Amino acid sequence: MNTKIMMIDDDPDFVAGIKSILEKADYSVDVAHNPKDGFQALQAGRYDLLLLDIMMGRGAEGVALARKIRKDPKLKEMPVLIITGLREQIAFLFPGQSVHPHFVETDELVEKPVEPKLLLEKVSSLLALAEEKKQKVPG
Amino acid sequence: MDIEMSFSEEIANVMYASHGNPITDCLQCGTCSGTCPAAEFMDHTPRTIIGLINAGYKDEVLASNTFWSCASCYHCTVRCPAGIDIADMMYALKRYSMWKGEHQEGLIGPVFAQSFVKMIVDSGRSYEPLLAPTYIFKNGPRGLVQEMQTATGLMLKGRLPLLPKKIKGLKKFRNMVRRIIPIGEPT
Amino acid sequence: MKQYAYYPGCSLESMATSYNLSTLEVAQTLGVELKEIKDWNCCGATAYFPVDELLAHTLVARNLALAEKDGLSDFVAPCSACYKNAYFTNAYLKKDPDLAEHINYALEADNLHINGTMTVRHLIEVFIEDVGLDEIGKKVTHPLKGLRVAPYYGCQLLRPRKENQNVENPQFFENLLSALGAEAVDYPSKTRCCGGSLIVTNRKAALDMVHILLQDAVNRKADVIATTCPMCNVNLEVYQNQVNREFGTQYSIPVMYFTQLMGVALGIKPAKLGIGKEVVSGEPALAFAY
Repeated sequence: MNTKIMMIDDDPDFVAGIKSILEKADYSVDVAHNPKDGFQALQAGRYDLLLLDIMMGRGAEGVALARKIRKDPKLKEMPVLIITGLREQIAFLFPGQSVHPHFVETDELVEKPVEPKLLLEKVSSLLALAEEKKQKVPG
Repeated sequence: MDIEMSFSEEIANVMYASHGNPITDCLQCGTCSGTCPAAEFMDHTPRTIIGLINAGYKDEVLASNTFWSCASCYHCTVRCPAGIDIADMMYALKRYSMWKGEHQEGLIGPVFAQSFVKMIVDSGRSYEPLLAPTYIFKNGPRGLVQEMQTATGLMLKGRLPLLPKKIKGLKKFRNMVRRIIPIGEPT
Repeated sequence: MKQYAYYPGCSLESMATSYNLSTLEVAQTLGVELKEIKDWNCCGATAYFPVDELLAHTLVARNLALAEKDGLSDFVAPCSACYKNAYFTNAYLKKDPDLAEHINYALEADNLHINGTMTVRHLIEVFIEDVGLDEIGKKVTHPLKGLRVAPYYGCQLLRPRKENQNVENPQFFENLLSALGAEAVDYPSKTRCCGGSLIVTNRKAALDMVHILLQDAVNRKADVIATTCPMCNVNLEVYQNQVNREFGTQYSIPVMYFTQLMGVALGIKPAKLGIGKEVVSGEPALAFAY
C-alpha cells in the first residue's frame, strides 16, 4: 500500500508546491486547510505522516492541534512534521530567538521555505522511525 | 481533496472558528456600509470588501485600508441580516495581511498592533507613552506639537504616570505566552 | 456584603484615574465590595486579535483564573473594552473544550487553572442590577436636578450582543441618570462609535466620529456627557481641542464618568471622585449640586 501523507496548511501556494514534490516521490497526499477539517480527516482516514502548519485560523493553532493529536489514542503514534513560517509571521514578539524545536515530544520542525531535498529526507526518516517503533511493539 | 482555493475560501479558513455565518451568505444589502461610522474613510466600504472577497479580488482587498479602519464597534455585526460577524471578518483580514506581511504602506494600524502586543508580552501591562513612537511622527510637525500639548496637559492633571508598570510574575507570564506562541527558550 | 473580583484595567491607572477613584468611592457608599484581582495583566484591548487570537484569550483567561483563585464568582470591569474581552473569552471557553484545554495548558506555566465559574459583568450592570435603582435613589443626597446629561453607551458595553440585550435602543443608562435626579438627554448617537483606537491609527476618522457625537449632544443642549468607558472618555474629552481645530467648532462640553455623577449625587466630595482632573472642567456644571 502507498504511503499516505496528510497536510494541514492554510497557504494554497505553499501546499501546491509541497504536494507536487511529495507526489513526484510517490507519496499520496491529502490536504486540509484549517485545523478542524484536518482533524476530521485524520480521524476518518488512515495516514502515515502529518505535515502541519502553525499559524492558522485564530493564531498558532498548529500547536494546539499537535497537542490534541498526541492525546488521541488512534493518532498519538503518528509522526508529525511541523513546517512553519512562524518566525516571519510574528517574529517581532521575540526578536532573534528561534522557534522551539519540540513543543510536543516526538515532533520534528522545519522552517519555511523548505528545500525539497531536506523535506524528502525528513519525511522518509520520520516514516522509517515510526515503522521501527511499530515493529518493536509486541503483538 | 482539491487544493485549488479561492480567496473567499482562504478567508473562510482564517475565520473557521468564527461564530457567524460564512461570508458567502452575504446578500450585498449594504446595511454594514450604511451602519459603519468609519465607512467614508475606507478605500472600499464593508459591503464592497465582502463583494471583492467573494469575487476573488485578493490584491485589491489586501491593498485597501478598509479593515485597518475598523474601530471594532460591532455595529455591522449586530445588524447584518445574513448573520455574518463582519467585525470578526475585519480581524481575520488583519491577521491574514499581518502574517503575510502584505498591507498598504504607511498605515499605522499594523505597526501599532505589533508594538502593543510586544509591550504586553514584555511587561504584562500597557502604557500609553511607550506606544507614542508608532504614530507621533506620522502627522507632521503640527501633529507632533498637538501630541506634546495633549500629553503635557494630561501629565499636569496627574493622568499620565511617569513610569510604565510591570506585573510581578513576569517570568511565569512569559512562559505562559511561549506555550501559545512557541518562540524563544522557556526560562 | 457581596464581594466582587475587580479588574480595573490599564487605563484606570493612567488616563482614567478619576474613573478608578470614583468607582471605589461609589462602591463603598453603596456597599459593593470590590476586591482588586492580584497581579492582573492587560486584557489586550483590540490590538491582539490581528496577531494571535489564542494569545488574546490566554491573557484574558489569566485574569479570570486569578479571580477564580480568590474564590469569587463575579468578574467586574469598568472599561467596556476589558468587559467585552473578558465576557467573550469566558463564553468561548465554556463552549469550546479544546480551546479551554489548550489555554489551561498555557496557564499551567503560571500555576493557574480556569474552570469557567466566573460571571463577567460591567460595573454599571452591578450598580443597576445588584444594588438596584430604588436603593441608589434612596441614597441620593444631592440630586442632580436640572442637569441635562447625555448618556453615552458607546460600543463594547452593548456589542456584540449578549443574551437578550437591547442593542439598538437601550434605556438602562437613562434610568440610572433619572434615579440620580438628572435629566437624561435623548440624542441619536448614544450608541455610535467614538473611534476607539482609531484615535491613534486613523486620527482623521476618529476626530470625525468624535465630532458627530459632540455635535449631537450639544445640539440637544446637554450640559455634560456621561461615559462608561475610559477609551470613550479620552476620545470625547481630551481630543475636543483637536476636533475644534479640525472642524472650526468651539465645543467645550465636560465629559464625566457615570461614577463621578453618581458620586456627586451621593454627596461624595468632588476631589475624592477625581473631579478636577478633566481637560474640560466639569466643576461649573456640577457646582449647583454642592
